[in-house]
Amino acid sequence: MKLILKEIRHRKFNFSMGLLGMITIVGLVVFFYTMTRATQQETIRLTRDMGFNVRIIPGETDINQFWVDGYSKLSMSQEVVDKLVVQKSINYAHLTATLHKRIQWRDKQVVLTGIASEEREPSGATKSKMIFAIEKGKVYLGYEIANQLNIAEGDVIDILGRQFEVSKTLTESGSEDDVRIYFDLETLQKLVKMEGRVNEVMAINCMCSTKNGDPLGELRAELQKIAPEAEVIMKSSVADAREKQRKMTDQYFVYLFPILLIICALWLASVTMTNVKERSSEIGIMRALGFTSWKISKQFFLRALLLGFLGALIGFAMGTILSYQLGPNIFSVAKISIAPNYTLLLLAILIGPLFAALASLLPVLWAVNRDSAELLKE
Amino acid sequence: MLEVKNITKQFNSGKNKVSALSNINLKVDTSEFVLVKGESGSGKSTLLFTIGGMLNPTSGEVIVNGKNLIDLSEKERGLYRANKIGFVFQSYHLLPYLNVFDNIMLPNELATIKIDKEAVFTIVEELGIKDRLYHKPSQLSAGEKQRVALARALIVNPSLILADEPTGNLDEKNTIYVMNYLKAYQEKGGTVIMVTHGNLADRYATRTIRLDKGKLISG
Repeated sequence: MKLILKEIRHRKFNFSMGLLGMITIVGLVVFFYTMTRATQQETIRLTRDMGFNVRIIPGETDINQFWVDGYSKLSMSQEVVDKLVVQKSINYAHLTATLHKRIQWRDKQVVLTGIASEEREPSGATKSKMIFAIEKGKVYLGYEIANQLNIAEGDVIDILGRQFEVSKTLTESGSEDDVRIYFDLETLQKLVKMEGRVNEVMAINCMCSTKNGDPLGELRAELQKIAPEAEVIMKSSVADAREKQRKMTDQYFVYLFPILLIICALWLASVTMTNVKERSSEIGIMRALGFTSWKISKQFFLRALLLGFLGALIGFAMGTILSYQLGPNIFSVAKISIAPNYTLLLLAILIGPLFAALASLLPVLWAVNRDSAELLKE
Repeated sequence: MLEVKNITKQFNSGKNKVSALSNINLKVDTSEFVLVKGESGSGKSTLLFTIGGMLNPTSGEVIVNGKNLIDLSEKERGLYRANKIGFVFQSYHLLPYLNVFDNIMLPNELATIKIDKEAVFTIVEELGIKDRLYHKPSQLSAGEKQRVALARALIVNPSLILADEPTGNLDEKNTIYVMNYLKAYQEKGGTVIMVTHGNLADRYATRTIRLDKGKLISG
């Protein structure tokens, strides 16, 4: 090792160039990996904001009626949510039980919508809430209702004989949500005398791309096994957009990573080649002194391992700093998820030296297999 | 001590084969000082490297202490070189990043060799480079570099010194110094095989052999 350290000190430039290559690859991998993770987080959040893409409704629902009314007039037991939560075959998130009922109120057609106070996640996963939770005894009013009937936050309104305080009037959504009055699910169930019943479970489903190319068919088949009383409708445009976006961010790194590796391997190999060429006569004299090919190769491989180790450490630090510097400018939501990934550090420390040694393999083999007499003439 | 039997060495030159050595037969006894002479390209260095086990002949045998060097594994040949042979070259081949002391101690990197530091101090004293012990090769004159190379070759007490034009880059004063040192080594029982062009070394040799176009023509 003493010999290696002395050689490195003597050929600082060559070692620095190798180190630079290693720092660059590890730094870029750490940076792009961190950015990809942040992109995924950002994508998940942004696509989540596109709304629920799966609607699970009672199986007997007349779909024509469903689309005309905007909800199913039939109902099913709220326990369907429990069945969905425990199953493993479908990838759901944000399972939310809802109840809808259209009524005539103050000469307006409005939809009373009860939303379960908690979203359910399969396998005990926890996710940030997609929708608002409404306190019992209070309501949220859609934009059009509040606007047309001149109702403000804090007003008390009478619905089906019960008094409710308007705790919020919603901003314009440009959808049927503007004519909804939102309740806590349990409150609405009691109000319309449908305790324990729901007529829709909303969810986000990510199983949009499947082997047979028919995600909805698969989803329906799976649901048939779990909850035969239910039917599923998928908003394919939202689902597709979500899937495409996720695939794009995944592929982005999948393609970039090998390119970075190849560039770095070529860089390290050329730096090692320069080093072994500079040290031709040294290799020759070592042979003359009785060093075996393995003993000589070891000098180069240990040097490469050291280079890889240092490059991994410094590269990780550089990549993380770069992520911290640039991340917040790129990601508005996911910037908080940018953090040092110590698993990546461990991998870099383990793989970096091996990668550097592998990249040096061909030049070193070429050098130690050369004719000693030829080496000593150089 | 050493016997070269029917050594032939051919190199590939494009599609053709060039004979560097043709049927060389040679016996060298202990405590001989053999000069190998010949024109450039006559095969002198090829013969030296073959005797040193650094070059495989196309055919023939190199018998050292009853063993054919060609049959030994790379590791065994390494051991043979490390323990029995000292190499000295025209271009010194010192490691530029090691000082004089570390260059002489270089064989110590091999597990089978243990060099006593005192022996290094003694040899540098004998070779007149004691005050250069912690200098790098770039800070040494040509004569000093060759003395360091000589020290490195002799520090393991080899029974054979293979010298390839060791005085080729030296002035007369340093040439005489190096030759005297090699002669003293030979007189103490060591064997020297030295490749040279000039005639300055003639008076030190016990025998001179000549090569011409890869063939032994005298000696």
